[in-house]
Amino acid sequence: MSKLLMKASNLKTYLETGDTIVKAVDDISFEINRGETYCLVGESGSGKSITALSIMQLLPKGIASHPGGEIVFNSKYSSDAISILKVNEEDMRNIRGSRIAMIFQEPMNSLNPVYTIGEQIVEALQIHWPDISDEQARQKAITALADVQIKDPEHRIDEYPHRLSGGQRQRVMIAMAMACEPELLIADEPTTALDVTVQAEILKLMWDLQQKNDMSILFITHDFGVVAQIAHKLAVMKHGEIVEQGDVELVLANPQHEYTKQLLAALPENLKQKNRATLMASFREKQKTSTNDKDIIRIENLKVYFPIKKGVFRHTVDHVKAVDDVSLSIRPGQIMALVGESGCGKTTLGRALLRLIDPTDGTFFYNGHELSSLSQKKVLPYRRDLQFIFQDPMSSLNPRLNIATTLTEPMAVHGIGKNTEERIRLAQDVMQQVQLDPEYIWRYPHEFSGGQRQRIGIARSLVLNPKFIVCDEVTSALDVSVQAEILDILLKLRDERELTLLFITHNISVVEYISDEIAVMYKGKIVEKGDTDQLTSSPQHEYTQQLLSAVPRLHH
Amino acid sequence: MTETTANSQTGVKTSSGYAKTILKEAFAQWSARIGFIWVGVIAILAVFAPFIANSHPYLVKSAEGISSPLFQYLSPADVIILTVFITILVLVYFRKRLMFSLLVLLSITLVSSVISYSFVEPPQLVVYEKYRELEKQGELEWVINAPIPYSAKDYLRDYGETGMEEPLAESQRTHWFGTEQSGADVLSRMIHACRIALGIGFVATGIAMLIGVILGGLMGYFSGVVDMLGMRLVEIFEAIPTLFLLLTFVAFFGSSLYLMMVIIGVTTWPGYARYVRAEFLKLRKMEYVQSAIACGLPLRSILFKHMLPNGIAPVLVAASFGVASAILFEAILSFLGLGLLDNPSWGQMLYQAVQSASFYWWMAFFPGGAIFLTVFAYNLMGEALRDAIDPYLRKKS
Repeated sequence: MSKLLMKASNLKTYLETGDTIVKAVDDISFEINRGETYCLVGESGSGKSITALSIMQLLPKGIASHPGGEIVFNSKYSSDAISILKVNEEDMRNIRGSRIAMIFQEPMNSLNPVYTIGEQIVEALQIHWPDISDEQARQKAITALADVQIKDPEHRIDEYPHRLSGGQRQRVMIAMAMACEPELLIADEPTTALDVTVQAEILKLMWDLQQKNDMSILFITHDFGVVAQIAHKLAVMKHGEIVEQGDVELVLANPQHEYTKQLLAALPENLKQKNRATLMASFREKQKTSTNDKDIIRIENLKVYFPIKKGVFRHTVDHVKAVDDVSLSIRPGQIMALVGESGCGKTTLGRALLRLIDPTDGTFFYNGHELSSLSQKKVLPYRRDLQFIFQDPMSSLNPRLNIATTLTEPMAVHGIGKNTEERIRLAQDVMQQVQLDPEYIWRYPHEFSGGQRQRIGIARSLVLNPKFIVCDEVTSALDVSVQAEILDILLKLRDERELTLLFITHNISVVEYISDEIAVMYKGKIVEKGDTDQLTSSPQHEYTQQLLSAVPRLHH
Repeated sequence: MTETTANSQTGVKTSSGYAKTILKEAFAQWSARIGFIWVGVIAILAVFAPFIANSHPYLVKSAEGISSPLFQYLSPADVIILTVFITILVLVYFRKRLMFSLLVLLSITLVSSVISYSFVEPPQLVVYEKYRELEKQGELEWVINAPIPYSAKDYLRDYGETGMEEPLAESQRTHWFGTEQSGADVLSRMIHACRIALGIGFVATGIAMLIGVILGGLMGYFSGVVDMLGMRLVEIFEAIPTLFLLLTFVAFFGSSLYLMMVIIGVTTWPGYARYVRAEFLKLRKMEYVQSAIACGLPLRSILFKHMLPNGIAPVLVAASFGVASAILFEAILSFLGLGLLDNPSWGQMLYQAVQSASFYWWMAFFPGGAIFLTVFAYNLMGEALRDAIDPYLRKKS
């Protein structure tokens, strides 16, 4: 049995859309050995998922074609090497699942909601071992669930997917993929949709299973932290080509290709070492000289509850305590980071501060003015000073309006600029500040990339000259290099315009780079807050410690 | 508004609005084009009906000199329709903004109605056979007739007792589609009936859309109590059978075209309201709407500028099916003998086809075909629009 499991040589995958041909994968070669984790890293659109789907032969036949190259797979169950691009559909079906299995990014969508998880695992087993009995298959499924550390597998096997959390569903997906004991597991961003603490568990689980079953993993990710944790070998992809590959330690410690260097330099934890020190020094200097030390935002015992209604008369039976008794104050010019996992109430808190959601109880003040109990009409004058930048650059811009309208309409309402020409000019100034070509002002949102849209989103919040901006996960939908640019724009703007930011995120390394203070939120409450450097180096609360240790980092 | 300097780095294309893209996509399908062409033909026939089928000649030369009886006999309604049509052509040519165009159109309609009803006075007594008889007596030097020299209500009194005649049965006169019960030319009546078919479709659907969009929009945006009450209202109106109500009203108040339009409009709005409400409930949570609120924009702008254009697409699809069903309602009423009495309508001609023991095939075939094709054309357009706005279907193509 040879050590080599799979070899792709000069693989090309072209996608035909209409009359244009996209070279999604363009002449790449790599080898995966038995028992090895091979990572494909790259930004969105670099062709890493298409590579995986080419190996699985899951691309639609009419659209995708392989004008060149081959993929050779050495199964231990067959004496000859299999050339995957040449086998017929029938044989490929036997390879899929049993020899090569795949898990997908979105655990919420990849399980069928109308079958129990047991039925889904058993079905996969019975297809690949047709002579297995129902009882045996069930036993095997229970073992598989136990292997992925699902507690009480004898009972949970009869659960429907909606009863499981995201992390549990991803475990079930892994159990399904592992049930047929594949030789190669392809994992396409399996932890991207998960919280960091859950991600850490899943990564550890995959590592353990690999050791146990002597299986190879082709791991696709955009996150170098994850790569550093799990990979043996790594390939960096860009525009359908592999620009650099080799052993993880070597590539990460001493990248040869320019693009790899750029990507690594764009990671927040590397950015930090470069210019955080200088930025912080200048900020501290400003803080000392400014006499205004009154809090710009003061939150006292804020509560936001969502009622759970039941029955014919929709009476309230209980509340979801999204924000539960939070007190926080933010000084002017500060970047306060609000950190927490999904569902901890951090976005709700941000929206409540702008009165996009009405608070249930408690008060908050902006520059000493109480906003929490004002009517929507009385809040209007303050809307100019308090702004919001949204998470998803795709849905935060009105697709029917061009950028000029999006930017100038709020100005007109708040009486900024005398006429339309002046407002357009002001809007173009702001576009320059966020490093966008002012000529783009007549275009529509669908003509921009994700990073550009996010800059437009920032520009929209800046046109009103706000004092305080809530940034809700502004970089989480972006690639690392774009993320680095956006973060730098925000830091620069903070200096130029003396902004105060509430930076909501789940990404600890971004927080370490950008923020002055951190508040850690857990289940609607703030469990710990303090100076960023201090808090990250010596966390006090148990949850904070857990969160910080779960973050995948390049340098352990 | 477009720049041709496409940015190769970002793959940015030149800009065009969403509405344009959708329309382009919808009318790229041949079915939608055929539908559109058919409705266009019907619309042109409707606007120019008096010029295509009229007993009064364009021009006559008599002892008193040259005169144009056709223009003398144009009714105020004809004048209004022509003015509105020309205005639309001009507006489309100059590509003004939608709101501006609608305002101009509305004001021109009002002004032209006032002017034409006060100044256009066709002769009270209309004698359709007048010029035919004058021509026979040799009192006219020459005559230029309309392509179909019979008006919709010209019962050919000068030819004695005429009734149902098959197409091209008579050698003296040419009736391409035959004549009806009281002797009028079927083709002429069908051309004049285009006005009613289009009018009832557009006005009834317009009323329904207006009510539906406003109520549905308010329900969707405010939700809560407003939504609860609104939805109960929707349910009440949905429980009213439109046809039954129409029959009742016609039985009590006699048949009137405007009454029909209003009743169809008032009973079919809940469908549109439901669509708009569902869209608005979804849009309210969208981040660009939230950011419009966060920027302190007024409610009017949030509702009509930021939400409505993004939520109107399904309503337009429903509307094109709605126009078709309004035309059918009118045809059904006329077919039951409860529609318009003297004025021509396609359904009324169908009614004549089956009235007596013998079956007059031309009375069934031509108007029936017109109804079928028009309803089919609207459905084709609706179908194409629906495909164009459906993101799932679009991804596949």
